[in-house]
Amino acid sequence: MKQITLVTILAAAAIALPLVIGENPYITGILISVLMMAALSSAWNILGGYAGQYSFGHAAYFGAGAYTTMILLTNYSTLNPLICIAVGIIVASIIALITGSIVFRLRGHYFGLASIAVAEIVRLSVLNFDFTGGAQGILLSDVSLWGLDLNSKNPFYYGMLLVLVVTLGITAYLRTSKTGYYLQAIREDQDAASSLGINLSFYKNKSLLISAALTSVLGSLYGLYIRFIDTSAVLDLRLSIEIILTAIIGGVGTLWGPVVGAFLLVPLAEMLRSNLLGDALIKAGLVSETSALGIFLKENLAHAHVLVYGIITVLCILYLPKGILGLFRRAK
Amino acid sequence: MIQHLLRVSHVSKHFGGNVAVHDVSFAVDEKQIVGLIGPNGAGKTTLFNCITGFFPVTSGEVIFDIKKINDLRPDEVCRLGMARTWQRVKPLGSLSVLENVMVGAFSVTNKARQAEEIAIEQLKSMGLTDYASKSAGSLPIGLKKKLELARVLATHPKLLLLDEICGGLNHTETDAILDIIRTIRQRGATIVFIEHDMKAVTSICDRIVVLNSGEKLAEGTPEEITNNPDVIAAYLGGGHHA
Repeated sequence: MKQITLVTILAAAAIALPLVIGENPYITGILISVLMMAALSSAWNILGGYAGQYSFGHAAYFGAGAYTTMILLTNYSTLNPLICIAVGIIVASIIALITGSIVFRLRGHYFGLASIAVAEIVRLSVLNFDFTGGAQGILLSDVSLWGLDLNSKNPFYYGMLLVLVVTLGITAYLRTSKTGYYLQAIREDQDAASSLGINLSFYKNKSLLISAALTSVLGSLYGLYIRFIDTSAVLDLRLSIEIILTAIIGGVGTLWGPVVGAFLLVPLAEMLRSNLLGDALIKAGLVSETSALGIFLKENLAHAHVLVYGIITVLCILYLPKGILGLFRRAK
Repeated sequence: MIQHLLRVSHVSKHFGGNVAVHDVSFAVDEKQIVGLIGPNGAGKTTLFNCITGFFPVTSGEVIFDIKKINDLRPDEVCRLGMARTWQRVKPLGSLSVLENVMVGAFSVTNKARQAEEIAIEQLKSMGLTDYASKSAGSLPIGLKKKLELARVLATHPKLLLLDEICGGLNHTETDAILDIIRTIRQRGATIVFIEHDMKAVTSICDRIVVLNSGEKLAEGTPEEITNNPDVIAAYLGGGHHA
């Protein structure tokens, strides 16, 4: 009961938020990034957290959605973007099925390595084909849906929010269903799972398919939102790793962990990128602007958000192996 | 021809040049308890892995009911009604005891509520009710073995393969497990079990199959086996036999 109340309040707050902050593209932009990363990480969590299959190649499905949508819209500009998103899901699912049939034969670290390999194959293919725009990427001049003002950010805020809610809903449902129990059994011990009647490859592929389809929708939305994509934006290994780190830091295999992780890490990365943190420290008089540390903060920290991710991850693994949510679990 | 529940016929398993199991045949009838014994490295667990689909056999056939099951996956074998436990217990560590048993129960139902009912019932009959919400990984070994048994019974097997279910247990715990096994049989299950503890084996088995160095050494009733000179030699004589 408590959880339902909490969810209702959160949902109401999330829906009302753009109205409260009004027309502030900067803040809305950050919120969209937070929601997107929360949804991406939650989608990854279905495969990585529940089934225990650490995919390091989720950028492939994100890119599949983004590229499919962008390529379709540049060639057929009157197409309904929702159809493009649907086609994106199909493309991502095909990649997922091919990937799954090959890499799910492998276990543990080998699965992780193979998932990177598949994602790199996708990235290098896209980089070298002509119809994908190659290294130049794809720029979309205009897009329209139902007369919505797609130059404003609010439609994308609600779009990302919707996908996040759907992803969390699927996760919550899975947790109490046969599939959810089976995925967790696979995570804990594959031989035991198999001896208890669980078809390993069927359930692994099922979770990969759900995860990949949701990820591709987010990729499509991202493409429509930014209207420019290239391989370094949507197919990079860095993206796959950020998705995983968000889940690890928030709490792998928990419903809310990836959301918590995203609300912490995305604003943090933004603060580092825009030098807010360095400036704040200097302004507060904690660090002198001319000292070595001050210069470092101003000059280099902006490029260091991945480094900070890394440090937080190491600290989390050492002291919070169950993520931030694990803290509250233990207290119970 | 008599219909056996399980028929292992001329099964061999080679790992490269290593012969782990060579030309082993035996049959198990319904409601029998058959013991599979032999010294370390005799190929007992390998044979189990072949029967349950974890290893493909090199040659020979495994027939369950009337179906040839050599080429089936372990999960298919389980859903046909043959379930196994593991010598080294494999609890689903971070799941609760109840959830562990529910995972087993899901092979006979798709509904979580039904699976939970089956699991609660199974825990009750195993005396594990008090531990239902504990995480499976935190149980002591004796209870982990019981959990392993509860979980596999929740799949409602016709044939149960137990791999050293009493291994590592003290006398009281062993007796408790043997009592459970007798109760299971009264309910109609058939059991094959690997065991080192001769006393446990002879007290409960209808028939015993003895493996040595991957080959079948003897087969018979507990009395026949305990008086068989080859078996005594294999266990005690350290290679003086044959």
